[in-house]
Order: sequence, then structure tokens, then C-alpha cells
Amino acid sequence: MAKKDKKIDYDTYDSSARVKLGTSDYVIRGVGYVFVTLYALACIFPFLLIIGTSFTSEAVIRSAGVQLFPRDFTTEAYDMVLKGGAIWKSYLLTILMTGIGTGVGLLIISMTGYALQRKDFVLRNVISFFIYFTSLFQAGLAPYYLLMTQTYHLKDSYFAVLLPLLMSPWLIILMKNFVKSIPFEITESGKIDGAGDMKIFTALILPMLKPALATIGLFLALGYWNEWYQSSLFLSSKVDAYPLQYMLYKVVNEANSLKNSVAAQFVTVTDLPTNSLKMATAVVATGPIVLLYPFVQRYFIGGITVGAVKG
Amino acid sequence: MKKKLLASLLSLTMVAGLAACGNGGNGSGDTSGSGQAEAVDTSEHVVITYMTTGGKPENSATDDMLAELNKILTEKVNAELQIYYIDWTDYLSVYNLTLAQMDGTVDLVGTATDWLDAWPNAKNGAFLELSEDMLKTYAPQTYASVPAENWEYCKYDGDIYLIPEDNYAQWTNHGFSYRLDWAKEAGLADGVKSWEDLTTYFKYVKEAYPDVQPWDSDGTQYATMVGGWISSHSNYVSIDGINSGAMWGGTKDDLYTVYSPYVTDTDSLVEFAKLMKEWDEIGVWKTDVLNNTSSDNREDFRVGKTAAEQHHTQTWTDLCSPGHTNNTIFADDEDAEVGFFYFGEETKNVTALSITHGAMAVSAASKNPERALMVYDLIRNDADCYKLFNYGIEGVQYNVTSDGLRETIADADSIVTNYWWGRNDDLELRDATMNWDTIDKLYKEYDDIKIEYPYGQFIPNVDSISTQIDQINEIHTNYMKQIAYGKYSGTAEEIVAEYQQALKDAGIDDVTAELQKQIDELYK
Amino acid sequence: MSKKNGTVNGVEKIKVQKSSLTFGQKLWRNRTLILMCVPAIIFFIAFCYAPMPGIYVAFVKYNYRKGIFGSNFIGLKNFEFLATSGKLGMLTKNTILYNIAFILLGNFFAVFVAILLNEIQNKWFKKVSQTMMFLPYFISQVLIGLLVYNLLNYDTGFVNSILKALGTPEEKLFSPYSDPNVWPVLLVVIHLWQSTGYNSVVYFASIMGIDAEIIEAARVDGANAWQKIRYIILPGLRQTVVILLLFAIGGIVKGNFGLFYNIIGTNSLLYSTTDIIETYVYRATMTDFNFSTASAVGLYQSLVGFFMVMIVNFVVKKIDPDYSLF
Repeated sequence: MAKKDKKIDYDTYDSSARVKLGTSDYVIRGVGYVFVTLYALACIFPFLLIIGTSFTSEAVIRSAGVQLFPRDFTTEAYDMVLKGGAIWKSYLLTILMTGIGTGVGLLIISMTGYALQRKDFVLRNVISFFIYFTSLFQAGLAPYYLLMTQTYHLKDSYFAVLLPLLMSPWLIILMKNFVKSIPFEITESGKIDGAGDMKIFTALILPMLKPALATIGLFLALGYWNEWYQSSLFLSSKVDAYPLQYMLYKVVNEANSLKNSVAAQFVTVTDLPTNSLKMATAVVATGPIVLLYPFVQRYFIGGITVGAVKG
Repeated sequence: MKKKLLASLLSLTMVAGLAACGNGGNGSGDTSGSGQAEAVDTSEHVVITYMTTGGKPENSATDDMLAELNKILTEKVNAELQIYYIDWTDYLSVYNLTLAQMDGTVDLVGTATDWLDAWPNAKNGAFLELSEDMLKTYAPQTYASVPAENWEYCKYDGDIYLIPEDNYAQWTNHGFSYRLDWAKEAGLADGVKSWEDLTTYFKYVKEAYPDVQPWDSDGTQYATMVGGWISSHSNYVSIDGINSGAMWGGTKDDLYTVYSPYVTDTDSLVEFAKLMKEWDEIGVWKTDVLNNTSSDNREDFRVGKTAAEQHHTQTWTDLCSPGHTNNTIFADDEDAEVGFFYFGEETKNVTALSITHGAMAVSAASKNPERALMVYDLIRNDADCYKLFNYGIEGVQYNVTSDGLRETIADADSIVTNYWWGRNDDLELRDATMNWDTIDKLYKEYDDIKIEYPYGQFIPNVDSISTQIDQINEIHTNYMKQIAYGKYSGTAEEIVAEYQQALKDAGIDDVTAELQKQIDELYK
Repeated sequence: MSKKNGTVNGVEKIKVQKSSLTFGQKLWRNRTLILMCVPAIIFFIAFCYAPMPGIYVAFVKYNYRKGIFGSNFIGLKNFEFLATSGKLGMLTKNTILYNIAFILLGNFFAVFVAILLNEIQNKWFKKVSQTMMFLPYFISQVLIGLLVYNLLNYDTGFVNSILKALGTPEEKLFSPYSDPNVWPVLLVVIHLWQSTGYNSVVYFASIMGIDAEIIEAARVDGANAWQKIRYIILPGLRQTVVILLLFAIGGIVKGNFGLFYNIIGTNSLLYSTTDIIETYVYRATMTDFNFSTASAVGLYQSLVGFFMVMIVNFVVKKIDPDYSLF
């Protein structure tokens, strides 16, 4: 069991550095580069279309569809989005919620995940099931809404958006699974040194959990950034600022929603969002979050190394 | 000030009471009414929240207007008004959830029997029962102006739940707006007068103006089209608010025998299916019309890129007016004219709008229902409040011309109150940009042939048949989308037979029978 | 493989110690671990269990004023419309088949991409490509519907413009919006396109979690790249795959409404292959808004999912208790 204490820097680490590369390596890498390039291009293409269209005049979009290279270039849609400055409030709100929610959520999820994977924890199956069960049965819209508004009085409160997204059964079980790959000896060695469970968790386990924290933190952050559902239920017109994606949701859905409703036969609504406005809002609302991944990626270092244990 | 208010309320109550007597109703009302009036206590300043559908405006024009309005409301009834917008996205769900909350979040609730769940919500307990005493006391002007028989249309189980928008002329019967000048070029000297004329018109447009899409439909007008076809080829009068297809009703000669033309008028439906197949082949709409949700036919019509728009008369009044700045067709082509072919034109089959097409209700959970009614009474009947609430601030949003028309001030942010639940023709200022000569001509034509909506008092109880109605609704959307856009495979006869069989399997006859039973109880 | 043995021994040691303790004593020993779970337990009670009794709304004629529990009980009436539609079988089948395709192919491609990314050494390339793969996750379903329409529609679509430019005769142009048979493939492709980048992160992180020294030792022993993937990486991902599957199975009869509704819309020509429970319910109840029907449908879906999970979890536990969820 004796292994060197060794940290591997993912950025420079090459698993094949000390072995001779065979044909199979070249084949896989070749396939890798080709497939990943093609898929990545397929992913960015629609986004370029959205950007191109957001700079195109509405008349061109209606007659010729979406545009990769804007004909009749205009920034009108962006002027609309930025007008009034409400968008900056939304940015601030979204960034705050994403930051706070991800931090608090990560802490609770990792604690719970650690406890639940401890084989000497007698309640681990009971609590796991207790948590997992909620992913199968939901109360449905009306009971949930009434509880949040009548009992918790969270209508028009940003907590109605922040709290329900803190964790999910899926993330907790995923975390539990990640922690499982940390050998039990670490906990044991901590115990031998006389550390309590909390101490073991914070001092020994957490530092080894970087990839897991990065992954789950990423999911949490994306969840907060993309959130519109809770906002659509609990943030009414009395609220000043809305999360970005909820603004986007409203802009993008309003026309379709109305067209397919009973109201469409009776109500004449003008000034529905144009296609270019939808696209421009999408670009603005996606914004800086696309740059989150490269930032998070550095934490995918092979942090879980058995080598850390001196056995 | 309080005394003055009381006095004026009292006197109004008397008038109201007298008016009620004059209408032959409830003689005892006036004494108890004045008894209540003395109890009106407006010493506490309250905020009344009014819920409406539509998005919240982004500019501050509405808030500025509300500030002005609230000065008046505070002075008169010591209350202020706040607007609670329900965004169009998922509006039904959010609107109903807000009502279900039942904690006084909203006081005044805009509603409608034909498109905004007024009766289901009255039955759900969401709306407050408005006693005649309450109305007389707190909304005296409104109470006096609504005739007794109209209140009857607002009752469920003997209680009034809705205040109708019954003094506002509007026509939301559907039809096709089209280019009258092009129709004339196509040889239709009087314009389009029938569905067959429309075929001629579309064919002509397709040939003469290859760049114009005759009608860039987004694929959602299937129910109105077939409904329009049926009213154009029969005396069918539909009952509102049962399902979106309005699939049950009577005939003008025999209003209270319920039937569904979708089951009985097979030949007519087959003819419709054939004509729509023809339109599809002409290329009236795009090939993939059923998924064409991103089109904006109405805006394209305004700039001359499409040749027809299917919607209701109210929309046409907007499209036919050269004064509207978006309607560039009139500037581009001095001959441009926009005509309207209304459904039912051939058979002179036009039904006036139900007076509860727009109505105001008070939330059952409102903490200040009395004050809510007092506020409503003012925004419906007080000239200053009405103008502020409907048009904005004079001099900011609009000016009144010498002949009493309302002129919108260019570049001013407009206000958004979506007040469709208590407009009042006595106080309306006509929009100067509208083409009133043409519009009035059509309204006159309507007035000559219309019948009043005959089923105002009929509130169907669908508890026992809702399962069937849901399924029929689904079948109707499913088949009609194919039939009304000529996208079915096989012959017209086959698809109509298949459709009718599906309706029968889903129990449409049970629904008809049940509705007949309920109609009999009410009218016979 | 001393690691695994060590772990097992460790557990056994503790088990031996503990067997003499009463349940209460065991709990006391676990008090810190219990405390660590308390925030999560409170969370799930507050936001998931507290509203659950409200599921009763599926059995009543909901009256706002009387509240859910004061409303009149009407038994299974709210379930009737789905049960008697004659379409429940078809809808459930469509929903399940699509989900199976999404789950199997989705996981296959996510693992595939994660493994390829792991093999790629160029740091810059890896960052850029992974960032790009995330983009589809941010595009709202409505815009995806719009883009797909712009790509595929008959008159002006991108695909047909190319075909026309190549001189394709009119009858051979691509017209998916009137052809139900192409949609199962198209929808699966669109779903994979949208979710693979996001899902591959879980696997990518799991691969990163595999002890690098084991891999290295294997390479030194002469294992080639295939063998490395086959014998080290894939087994290392097994547990993650199983957990993902168990979660997915719980939602096997819950459809992806956004995807189907925004791409297919209300084009009834395509329903035979694309109608799922959510879209049908949405259309049928569009003019008859009530919370009870929706709850009834949700309850039906949950029950089916619940039984499926119970069965699968039972089987997994039989094979290897380490992999089961509970």
C-alpha cells in the first residue's frame, strides 16, 4: 500500500508521458480530435446563427429567416434590450443568486454526501431513500405554490427562487458517489488521530473533493443561471428586477404562448417581441456564464489520489 | 372632507336606488342601501390591487399616470390603485394560481366568460358575491348604469359575481382583412363578399404579386376558420365558453335546441375541406404552415408583404386606418384600401358580443372589497379617472382635437393598463388616427343584422361532461388543423367522416344531450 | 488492488465493533454525521415533503375558497379523461420509448465524449471544445424550435435551399413537417446534440477521479489504449452510469415537454410518432384549466416511475449492493 504522496497537475499531466504510444493511442486521439471538433462546431453553429440574427433587421428575418451574417445590419434589438437599464439589475441579481446559491448549496451537498457514503452510518440507507424519494413524487403545482405563498410567505421574495434550487436528490447522490471513491482509510486515519467526523470532513475529505466540488458546483451554478420556473411562479409584476433567464423566457415565449391560447381569438396585442429581440435577449442573457467552464476546469485535477494515504 | 364624501355617496345611492326601482327591480334595496352608506368608512388609506393580463410596461409612463390618478382616488375615496400584471406567457396558470392564493394579494380582477375563466372561477369561490346592496352603496354609478336584465347575465346561483362591460361597442366577430384595391383589380368590384370571392382574390394575388405571400398564417387559426365557414353557411349561433371551438349552439330560428354543426353539417364540412385543400394548392399559406409559428402576418400586412389577415373586426379597424404609423401600405400606394370580409356575411349571421366578454370581479379574499368597488366605480364612470386610466395624461400621452378626437402624441411612451373590463362609451374619446367613416359604415351594417348574444344567462355545468369535452377539444384541434389548412391525406369525405367518428367515440352526443337538458331547465 | 481489500477490511472491523452496540448507541456514535445531514433533511421536508399531502388535490373538485382539503372529494374523476381517452397506451409507449432512446444513447455519447476528451492532450483545444459543447444547454427550447424550423422547413429551409441549389427535383426535397416518420430520429439527434456536452461533464469528472497511478501502472505493464479503456476506465464509470440510470428510470414516463412542444408544436400530422403524455394533456386541457387534472397526470407518472425504480433497484441490489441507490 505504500505509495508516494504525489499531486498531479492536470494541465501538464500526460498519462502517456512515460509509456510508448501505440497505434491504438493514435487512433483514439485521431478519432477524438475529429469527433470533438465536429461536435463542438455543431454546438457553436446555432449560437452563431443566434448572434447573427440578433443583428439583423426584423424585415429580413421575416422574409429570409435566420441569418449567419446579418444582412441589413442593425443594433436596434440590443438598444431595446439595454434600454431602461433593467438588464443591469438583472445581471447583478443573477450573479448574486448564482454565487450565494452555489456556495451554500455546495457546502450542504458535500456534507450530506460525505455522511451518506460512510458505511458505519446506520441511517445512511434511510436518509438516502428519504432524499431520493422526492425525485419520484412531487406534490404538483398547486400544493407547492400554496405552501410557498400562504405558509412561507415567499411571494415576491427572491428566497422563493434561491432556496428551492439549493440542492437536488440527484446532486446529493452524485456527490455521495464521488466521495465513495475516497478510501475509507482516510476517515479511519483521522479517527485514529482523534479527529471528530466534522473535522475529518473539513480537513481531510474536502480538499480531496475538488473535481466533485467543481462538477457539482458547475451544475448548481448553471442551474441558478438558467432558472426561470420559480421566478415565473413567485416573482410578480411588483418585483423590480428579474433573473436574466426569466426575462429571456418571457420575451421568447410571449408571442407563442399567446398565439396558442384562447385569448388569441379575442385580444389584439401589439408590440409583441420581435425575433431579433428574442435573439438579442438570448445573447445577453447567456452572457458571461459561457466562460464559467474554462474557469472551473482547472479543478478537475486528479485530486482524488490514493497516494495521499500513507498506509 | 369625509362628510362631503358621505353626502355625495348618499345622494348617489338614492339615485341608484331610484334607478333600480325604475327598472322594476328590488324596491327594498334603497333603504338598506342608504343604511350601508352611512357605514362607509374611508378613514384608513388603502391600496387596491387590480389584476389584469398582459406584460408589465418597461417605461415609467404608467407609473406617472397612476401617480396622477391616485391623487384623485385618494381625495375621493382615500385609496390608491396598483396594477398587478399577469404576463401573457403561461397567463392562465399564473392567473389562476394568484387567485387560488386567497390572501388578499389582489382586489379587483379582470375576467371574461369567453376567454378568461370567469364562470369556473365564480364556481371555485375565487370571486366575491356582490350583493345588490353592496353595488348600490359602493359602486352606485355603475349599478345605476347597468340595466337590471344585464345584471341577470352576471349571476350564478342567484348571486352577482361580475360587473359587465355592457356599455362599450366593440366587435370581435372574425373575418378576413384584405386589400380592397387588389380585390377590385381581381374583378371583385364590391370587394370580397364570400369565401369563393376569397379564392378568386388569393389566386389573383398569387399571380399578380409574386412577392406577396397571400396569407402567411402561423397555423393557429383553424378553429376560427371552420367556425367562420359554418356561420357563413348556416344560422348557427354558438354558446361561449364551453370549449375553444365553440362547438355547440342553436340556430337563429331555434335558439334553444342544442346541436353541434360539426356533427350534423357534414356536407358543408366536406365542402370546406375541399376549398381549403384548394387554397393550400394555390399557395395561400406556406407549405409548412402548421409549424410556421415565427411568422408575423399582421405586421407584414401593414407593410404590404401579405394580402390578408384573419382576425376580428377590432383588428381590422386598426389595419384599415391610414393614420396608423405602422400601416405603410397607404403611404406606399395611394390606392391602397383595406376591406373586411366578415364571417356570416353571406347569411347575415352575426351575433353581438356577450356583455361579459369583459367583466370586473372582486376577489373573495380582498381585504377591502368595498373600497375596491368604490375605486372601480370611479375608473369606470368618472371622466377624469377614466381618461387617465385609459389614455394617460392629457398633454403627455394625448391631446384632444377641436372636434373632440383623441390625438396620440408622437414619441410619448404609452401607458399599459389593459383595462378591458369596464370601458364606457359615454366617456370614450375616439382615436383620431382611425378611419371612422369606413368603420362606422361597417358597424352600422352589423347593427342592422346582428342578434344579441342569446345565451348570456346560460352557465353550463360541465362537471359530469368535462372528460368528454377535453377529449373533443383535443380531437377538434387535431383534425381541424389538418382540415382547415388542407393538409389531410385522402379525400375530403374521408377525413370529415373520420373526424366525426372520433367526435362520436369521444361522446359528443352525450355532451349535446347534457347541454340540452340544462338549456331546457333554464329556458323552458 | 490492495485498496479495495483495505476498504472492505476497514468496514468489517467497524462492523465487528458495532455489532455489540444497541441501535441507540450506534445513533449516538453517528451524531455528527446525523447533524451533517440535518440541513438537507430540513430542506427536503420544507420543499418536498411539506407540500406532498397536497397531492390530494388530484382527488377533489378544487374550490379555492374551501382550500384543497376542504374541497369535495370526487374519487378518480380527475384521472378519467386520461384513462378513457383511448390514447393512454400509445402516449405512455411513445414517452417511454423516447426516454429509453434518450437515456441509452445519451449516456453512450456522454461516456464516449468524456473518454475522447480524456485522451486529448492539448489543453487549449480541450478547454475551447468543452466550452463550446456547453452552448446548446443555454439555448432555450423555443429558440431551438425556431432554428430547427429555419433549418428544415420546406419552402425556405436551409436544407432544402442546398438541395435546390444542387438541382434536386421538387418531389425529392426534404419535407419533415409533413412526414411523421423522420421525427423519432430527428428528436433523438436534437436531444443528444443539446445534452451530450452537459452530461459528459459527470463522466469526465469521474474519469479524473480514477486513480491516475493505476492507469499508469497498467500502461507500464504493456496495456494498450483499448485495454486501458476497457479494463480501467469503463469499470471506473460503472457506478456513475448505474446511478444516472436509476434516476432516469424514475422519470421514464415523464416527457420532455419543452423539446417536443417547441419543435412539433400543434402540428397534428406528426402526432402519431411524436405525441407524449405532456403534450396531449396540454392540448386537451388548454380550455379547461384546472390544477386537479395536472396533478392526477403527475401522480400517474410518478407511480409508474416508482414501481420501475423499485424493481430495478431490487435487481441491482441483488447483483451488487454497492451500486444500489438505497
